Amino acid sequence: MTDHAGPQKHDAVSHHGRDFKAYRIGAAIVALILALALAWQVFEIFDGDARTVPEVRWGVTTYNGEDIGIQDTASSLLTGTILTDRTTFQAERYQTGPSPEQNRPDYGVVPDTMMTNSPMDDGEKFTESWAIFDDDTGAMLREGQRIIGISSLPYPNAELFERPFARDWRLGIADIATHLGTLAILGMGFILALFLAVRGRVPIAKGRSPRTVKRFTLFERITHWMTSVSFIGLALTGIVLAVGKTLFLPFGEDVLGAVGWISTWGHMMFFPPFALGVVAMAVMWAPGNLPSKIDLNWIRKGGGMLSDEGPHPPAKKFNAGQKAIFWSAVLGGGLMVVTGVTLMFPYVWADLGTLSWAMLIHAIVGLLLISVFIGHVYIGTVGMEGAFWAMWSGRVDRNWAEQHHSIWLERIETHERDGT
Amino acid sequence: MTRLKFLCDTDRCIECNACATSCKNEHDVPWGMVRRRVVTINDGEPGEKSIAISCMHCTDAPCVAVCPVSTLYQTDIGVVLHDKDTCIGCGYCFYACPFGAPQFPRATQFGTRGIMDKCTYCAGGPEENGSEAEYSKYGANRIAEGKLPICAEVCSTRALLAGDGDVVAEIYRERVVARGFGSGAWGWKTAYYPEQS
Repeated sequence: MTDHAGPQKHDAVSHHGRDFKAYRIGAAIVALILALALAWQVFEIFDGDARTVPEVRWGVTTYNGEDIGIQDTASSLLTGTILTDRTTFQAERYQTGPSPEQNRPDYGVVPDTMMTNSPMDDGEKFTESWAIFDDDTGAMLREGQRIIGISSLPYPNAELFERPFARDWRLGIADIATHLGTLAILGMGFILALFLAVRGRVPIAKGRSPRTVKRFTLFERITHWMTSVSFIGLALTGIVLAVGKTLFLPFGEDVLGAVGWISTWGHMMFFPPFALGVVAMAVMWAPGNLPSKIDLNWIRKGGGMLSDEGPHPPAKKFNAGQKAIFWSAVLGGGLMVVTGVTLMFPYVWADLGTLSWAMLIHAIVGLLLISVFIGHVYIGTVGMEGAFWAMWSGRVDRNWAEQHHSIWLERIETHERDGT
Repeated sequence: MTRLKFLCDTDRCIECNACATSCKNEHDVPWGMVRRRVVTINDGEPGEKSIAISCMHCTDAPCVAVCPVSTLYQTDIGVVLHDKDTCIGCGYCFYACPFGAPQFPRATQFGTRGIMDKCTYCAGGPEENGSEAEYSKYGANRIAEGKLPICAEVCSTRALLAGDGDVVAEIYRERVVARGFGSGAWGWKTAYYPEQS
């Protein structure tokens, strides 16, 4: 039995979604916060920091016995002069020796002490100037192409010379997957919060009933919670791996490194229960989740979620929305498991090209799944009155069942009558 | 403005692997990893070419862009370095690298990769230049001493050139004019001029 279904609450009149004032105020606040986060994310897409810029400068701090300030332009220029002079020694031997006809060249300028490194913040101009070339250099360039030969070195991938696809991969992961994923996650949260603030919870229209109906067995619930807890673990650690730099770099590189390391291992620890859960759910719930004709009607009526009025579209044990969630979990989760295991064992059955695609698919599908399951968590908790108890105690309010799963309830009650 | 680059003259490289060997020796590179390697194309056929490849220290380096924990960073002379204290071994840099430069020791269980190692252009890492801690993690720091990478400086045929990009390109062009042929700067477009078409 559940505590909410007591007869004392039977006559409560909270049958309208708009009456859930506290929920709606809370949701409005959350919607506001998420709107700000969304705006920030959109700004991140267009703020033009997608290019790699140098963050550290080299400097010569003592030269010919004189001290030079670490941020002085001279320290930077001397670094360049020293290294450029040294480069000239690689010219032809008749120019730079060692050769019988030539004197041994001197070694140019050398720093008195080790050069130093210090942070800098005007790196953008370097990246810009580096990308420009003159006609002489242009004539030397070869079109980038995938080149694989052989190598006498016994290391995986040693035979690879060049794969320009890697630059596209970078766009895929850094510019598309992470931004798209963040938009999907924040956007889903924002839409749901706004929905809750405006519409309120989906109420049990007839009010609570004193009777409850058995909906999920203990085994079903254990499987569900094992999968969901490990999914949340995978999602949180995965978010660190996807956008950790944005979230944790403000707290320092050491914090970021520590959080990253925990996430790498945590991501792997949460994987076995998740994979087990996905398989168990697939076996357990697939028959009830096959698409049927009444799903179309349910979708056409928006699941009856938009309004308190009028009858809900009929559904069996699982309605079209739940079926969508189920197949997201099974197919999406399955894809995550397959790509994830592939990534855990580099080169065992996948080469670098396959691994690259597995990584991209893993990132994109993972972030979209997080977004989808925010919707699932919403409708199972704050979004709908009475829904949560199905998975918690296994029993649901009879009126809830009648409203959302009329065909299923009818069958159960018929069974009960026939049985007794 | 000095911009360090690597250029391997494929018409001169004889696949002696001295660059790979001297690199391993100079930096005490751990077992199972190699920061520079030699690739032979069309082996045994007409047009066979060998070419030494390592991290090219790219312009708009993709590895730096994808690193989720800010391990990789670039310096004002173009050299891309890494911080082994923050690396989590996710392998993103490896997928994003056009030249297969990042190496992973694969020392840990479950097939996770361990901490990334790659060519430093003989420029150490974030530790104090020339310190013991720097040497044990990243190897020698020749740049801080005003020297250039050992792989290029030992190259017996001067196929592998390292140093300021303009000087290196000039050396190569003079060479091509003198001998009358040259197959160009392999990998330069992908590495250094990604946005040019």
